[in-house]
Amino acid sequence: MKSGQAEIVETSKAIQKSGLMSRRNAILEFILRIVAFFNTITSAILMATTNETLPFFAQFIRFHAEYSDLPALTFFVIANAVVSGYLILSLPLAFVHIVKSKTQNSRVLLIILDVAMLGLLTAGASSAAAIVYLAHKGNNNTNWFSICQQFNSFCERISGSLIGSFVAVFLLILLILLSAIALSRRH
Amino acid sequence: MAKESTTIDVGEPSTITKSSSHVVVDEKKKKGFVAAAAGGGYKRGLAIFDFLLRLAAIGITIGASSVMFTAEETLPFFTQFLQFQAGYDDFPTFQFFVISIAIVASYLVLSLPFSIVSIVRPLAVVPRLILLISDTVVLTLTTAAAAAAAAIVYLAHNGNANTNWLPICQQFGDFCQATSTAVVAASISVVFFVLLIVISAIALKRH
Repeated sequence: MKSGQAEIVETSKAIQKSGLMSRRNAILEFILRIVAFFNTITSAILMATTNETLPFFAQFIRFHAEYSDLPALTFFVIANAVVSGYLILSLPLAFVHIVKSKTQNSRVLLIILDVAMLGLLTAGASSAAAIVYLAHKGNNNTNWFSICQQFNSFCERISGSLIGSFVAVFLLILLILLSAIALSRRH
Repeated sequence: MAKESTTIDVGEPSTITKSSSHVVVDEKKKKGFVAAAAGGGYKRGLAIFDFLLRLAAIGITIGASSVMFTAEETLPFFTQFLQFQAGYDDFPTFQFFVISIAIVASYLVLSLPFSIVSIVRPLAVVPRLILLISDTVVLTLTTAAAAAAAAIVYLAHNGNANTNWLPICQQFGDFCQATSTAVVAASISVVFFVLLIVISAIALKRH
């Protein structure tokens, strides 16, 4: 009789422990989403507000650089804005996972959407990185010359905005891993 | 003198009760087994689809990497000291593309045993979880390579008037065609990876 009671107590403790663990995971997921949101929105704003005008100009030309001059950077801003919007909209669902740890369908939905957003964000960040690299180094084989010698502060700011975006990519990978672990855990 | 009589209710023989209880347990076991088998069947189907997608992705990634690697064009005219030639190694982004996609193709080959394990044991969680985590990381690498190469290919096709980066595809038409094909193939493999991750997520669901 005693052994039976002990078994029940142990089982209930294990259930409590696993419940606590999944709640911790859900809280961590919620925090990561907020951090990723701030990263993406900051990157988008930083890139969108970047412009530089050179102090000298010709009779008809004024030397001015901004993100919209390069299509890859425009795509970067749009991608980051979309992902930050998604991250804000996904917060209520992440909160549901804190309250109800056994939800499954919503977790699968979040994984699918997270993967789609990871793809979009990585594409935006990588295409922008390729262009920023070209702006810094140029390419002698194709006569694409470096523009960062002229537009120095412009290049610094767009390079800075890339960092935030790549951090958000890493955070999205972590979010997918957390969701996968939560799905695979047996209750 | 009135007799006090006590009536004793004798229930059904214990053997019957025992046997009926055994029957109930057996029925429950049967139901559980049938449910597990059904779940296993649907998960086995997903695992087979996963395996086939991996095979297709291997073909596409090897194709993309080799097409980019062999992309080369030499113009028919040349000066005394210059010969106009374009190869993938003239662009650091294309070098990154070739290396990344080759790594991805290698990973896909190495992931096939795990996919086979998922077919043989559809209810096993660990192989699925390993595949999902690895696929997510490799998806990021593939997307990064494809997007970076796409940005350069776009620039090669259209140029950029604001920065005086002129298009080179008017001269090196075949080279641009090959690089564009490689980028399209890599983009298709990205879609395949997304599908693989979705399949793994659905298969991880408990029933």
